[in-house]
This record gives sequence, C-alpha cells and structure tokens, in this order.
Amino acid sequence: MSDILQVSGVSKCFGDVRVLDNVDFSVARGEVVCVIGPSGCGKSTLLRCINYLIEPDAGTIRVNGVYVGREPDKSGRMRRQKASALDRVRPSVGFVFQQFHLWPHLKVIDNITRGPITVRKIVRAKAEADALRLLERFGLSAKAHTYPSELSGGQKQRVAIARALAMEPDLVLFDEPTSALDPEIVGQVLVLMRELAMSGMTMVVVTHEIGFARQVADRVVFIDGGRVVEQGTPDEVIERPKNERLRLFLRSIDLSGETAVNSR
Amino acid sequence: MAFDITVITGNWALFAQGAAVTLLVAATSVVVAFALAVPLALMALSRRQLLRWSAAVYLECFRNLPFIVILYIFFYGLPMLQLQLPEIATGIIALSCFASAYLSEIVRGAILSVPAGQMEAARAIGMSYIRGMWEIVAPQTLKFLIPPCTNTSISMLKETSVLSAITVGEITYQGLIVQGRTFAPFEVFLTTACLYWLMTSAFAALMGRAERSNNTTRSAPQTRRSLADQFLKIEA
Repeated sequence: MSDILQVSGVSKCFGDVRVLDNVDFSVARGEVVCVIGPSGCGKSTLLRCINYLIEPDAGTIRVNGVYVGREPDKSGRMRRQKASALDRVRPSVGFVFQQFHLWPHLKVIDNITRGPITVRKIVRAKAEADALRLLERFGLSAKAHTYPSELSGGQKQRVAIARALAMEPDLVLFDEPTSALDPEIVGQVLVLMRELAMSGMTMVVVTHEIGFARQVADRVVFIDGGRVVEQGTPDEVIERPKNERLRLFLRSIDLSGETAVNSR
Repeated sequence: MAFDITVITGNWALFAQGAAVTLLVAATSVVVAFALAVPLALMALSRRQLLRWSAAVYLECFRNLPFIVILYIFFYGLPMLQLQLPEIATGIIALSCFASAYLSEIVRGAILSVPAGQMEAARAIGMSYIRGMWEIVAPQTLKFLIPPCTNTSISMLKETSVLSAITVGEITYQGLIVQGRTFAPFEVFLTTACLYWLMTSAFAALMGRAERSNNTTRSAPQTRRSLADQFLKIEA
C-alpha cells in the first residue's frame, strides 16, 4: 500500500452549510497534489480536517495507515482519539498556513527548532545545526537570529516552510501559501516549493496558482460545493476540463490574472 | 490646632510594622490570586461545559459581592468548617479569592487576544494544548496582562485595609490603634494615606518599567525614519 494519506467519507457542516460532503481523497508517497476550486468550496476545510485542526462530522483520515483524530475501537465503532494519540500523529503531517503564523516572540531559529526540541525530543545542538542547514538551503542564513517582524512576507513564508520541514514530516499540507504575498514575491515561494516537490516530498497544495499546478502537480483535484468534482493530471484537468463548473472556474481565474497584469 | 508631628515620630515603629504587614498580605494575595486565576481562565475557555459552568459560578460569586462581606463570611465560616486559621491567613485567602475572579477575566481576555493561528501552528506541529499554551501563547499574553494586572494589584493593595475589620495588623489597623492612643485622627490617617500612596506609586512605576522593557524587545520600533522610508518606497 503506497498511499500515504487516505481520506474517506469526510463530511463537515458549519451550521446549516455543508462545507464538505462525503469526500474521498488519497495521496501516494512522493505525489504532489494541487487542490483548486472557487473560494468557499471547502478546500481549506479539507486540508484542516486532515490534521484535525477542524474536527470533521463524519469520515476517517489515515496517515501512513495510522488513524488521525478518530479511530475504531474493538467493536469497530469510531471513537475520538485521546489528545496524546493525536499529538503523536501530527508531527508527521507538516502544515503551512496562508498567514504564516510564525511565533513573533521567538527568533527565526527558535521558531524552527522549538518543535523538534519539544515534540521530537531532539537535542538543541543538533536541532539548531539542522535548522541552519534548512535556512541555508532557503537562502535565509543571515536571518537566523532576527525576529519574524523583521522579515518580508516571502521570507516569513519560507521560514514557515522550514519550520514544517524541520519536523521531518511524511507529508506537507500547504493552505494557499502564496495568497497573502505581494505578487512579485510569490515567485520566491513557488520556486522553493517546486524544489521541494522535486526532492520527492509528498505535498498537498491548496492554491490559486494555476501555473504552479500545471508545472509541478502530479495530480490536480477540483473541488466544488464540498465535493471532488474532477481530478486527473494537470493536462487533463487544466487543459481539457470536462466539467462545466471547472471550465467556468478556470476561465474566471484566467480573466482575473489578465486584469491584474493590465492594471500594473 | 496645630499639626502634631510627635504623633508620627512617637509611633513610627507601629506604622512601619503595619506597612510591612500590608506589603506581605498584598504580595502573597497577588501571587495566590494569580495562581487561581490562570486555571479559572483556562476553565472558562474550555470546551467542556462543566468546567466553563464551574468557572462562571465562581466568578459570579466573588465578583458580585462587596469584599468586606466575603471577608466576614470567610472569617466566621472557616471556623464552622473546623478550620482555625490566624486572621492574616483568613484575610489572604479571602482577598485572593475575591481578586482571582477579576484576574481570571484579565487572563482570559489576554489569551483571546493572541491570534488563534498561533495555537494552531503549535498544535499542527504536535505540541499538546498545555505545551502550546506555555511555549507559544503565554509569552505573548504578557503585553496584554501587565497593564490591567497592575491596576488590579493596586486595587488589592488598597483593599488590604479592609482586613483591619478582622484585626489583621496592617497599616489601617495600626493607624486605628495609634489614633486610640493619641486622639489625633487627622495626623494618623494623613500618615496612613502617605504610606499607601508611596507603596502603590512605587509599584506602578515598577510595572511601567516592566511594560516598556517587554514591548521594546519584541519588535523593531517604528521610528519616524522607518515610517518615512516605507512611504518613500511606495512612491518609488
């Protein structure tokens, strides 16, 4: 079984709104999956359900075959896991937030090492050496001992990615990693993510960057109305979309891309 | 009638002793009250209804009663529970319970002021709730905690005067004793007032300094120069 992530039958309602409707979704080791869809379609909710930042109403999530959040008891009924069990699976799933969520009271290096030291129980000296190596790879060596408030948006997001990678996860989830960045900085982060994908990291990326999806993704998943409507290779989904809603969505993104260029 | 300075010079030992007791009671109560306030705030923020409800009951009990009534209830109630404590201990317990209700609301507000994403990032990495609170959220609550906690601590220091009602030997009580000896209430309470003022203003100055040092270390200060640079960059 090469699937690193298996999501099956996940549903979530916020009040009366059904945000996720019986979603099945799996990711193979080393695969890069881009999730696209109109805003409010449930793609971020899906990502947050995967590491249980949001508790789904129904369905199961497994990472490397290990249940996340809820698991069957002896009689086969699904039960909520103990918090400690959840904390044991979470380190294997990295999460990169749209708004970075770096910890402002810690220096860049401490942002990266705090997880490995407190959660993975790695000695400080080794954690710091590893963190410096990551920062060097990301072109941020000079920033190791500054506070996050002194970084630009693109640098913040690169540090946030380094923080996720320092935990040596099996899988990294990216929740619109470039949506909070200035257009001219988006490239820095995307280049880094492409390099990461090339290195064989398993990634699930919620994004509006269709160009990135086309170039980097092994598979593109289109979600609409809380359901997976269409999925396949970038070539199938982006160049030859079958679903009418997907066609509309791609066209609207194209148009907004053009207007952004024209207005500059 | 002239101001009689001998009332002060002749009884300075009693005033000094009273000031020491006031400081001791206030300091101990602030520490105990804060130790009660943190779990109360966490209970109030809990997902479990029973915990939230218990915290709410506690809060309503202590916030909606005058302190002197709470003090009398502890003073006469604890012995009925077979708990014979010195007056000063009873006073510290009553004041701590009273103030912890206010402090817990301050702590709760400070925790809510830290963006939710901070805790999410901690949990996503695999930190437990308690560790996330301790490592990530707590340090960021300091700047929200210091100003209101200064206020509450000063109120507590002043509130210790009520302990004179159960014969705790703090400044107000010693003042009453000196007044009984000398029949010079104006001199006595003017001295008492000066002593309270000295203690509260010294404490406020100390906390003001703590607040400033806490603020400057976290982020690069926005100087006029750096603001100007930003605007120039936009135009360029």
